[in-house]
Amino acid sequence: MTAGESTGRDVLDGPFTTRQLLRIDEALRLADRSTGLTFSVYAGALDEPARESAEKLHAQLADPAASVLIALSPNQRQMEIVTGAEARRRIPDRAAKLAALSMAAAFGGGDLGGGVVQGLAMLADHAGRS
Amino acid sequence: MNRIFWSLRRLGALSLSIIETTLWFAGVPLAVVLGVFGIVFAGTSRRSRRYRPGRPFDFTPVWFLSSPELLTGAPTPGHAELTTAQRPALAAASTDWPQADASQEHVTGGASDRW
Repeated sequence: MTAGESTGRDVLDGPFTTRQLLRIDEALRLADRSTGLTFSVYAGALDEPARESAEKLHAQLADPAASVLIALSPNQRQMEIVTGAEARRRIPDRAAKLAALSMAAAFGGGDLGGGVVQGLAMLADHAGRS
Repeated sequence: MNRIFWSLRRLGALSLSIIETTLWFAGVPLAVVLGVFGIVFAGTSRRSRRYRPGRPFDFTPVWFLSSPELLTGAPTPGHAELTTAQRPALAAASTDWPQADASQEHVTGGASDRW
């Protein structure tokens, strides 16, 4: 399910093009390194209710408290940003909502990769340096 | 008149039959057109799947982390059991983990949006 476990073929069957994958990878690494938090991006179907489903995914991360999960479901046209307790102190819900708005605008235009990269950059900017 | 005929003949102008003429003047352009079509569709069919809001979009779910080892496959209590088995001295400490996680689950924040 993760990029590490799946083969390259599976990742290319995902919603992103090779170029978008490279940009997302770069954005994730930059966000992780600059903030010290763990950012992660999930793209796929979310069970209803989407919020609980995204929180379950977030709980599977190694350190949920210091993790930020961006979960998007293109078919349901829905996205969730989940921040852990420690991450929430650095990224308040209002900042997360602002990033979500900006991402939803990009997704609404059909640009999944661009929206994810932009959202990661906004969240990382707001979290500041570790 | 005879000289003009022979000079044309020497240059090959009158040596083409009807079939050869058709091949050169219709077959070659057709081949070029088909070649361009082939190149265009070879490029797009690989990425013909493109997300358009409101239309069904088939893809395999993906989950990205900058370093995949940060994802625990098993839920945290299972992880605590593993450490308990390996280090009995830390058994007391490991029992605190599920409680800590249970309290943390309720304080997740973030945002939702639709498009």
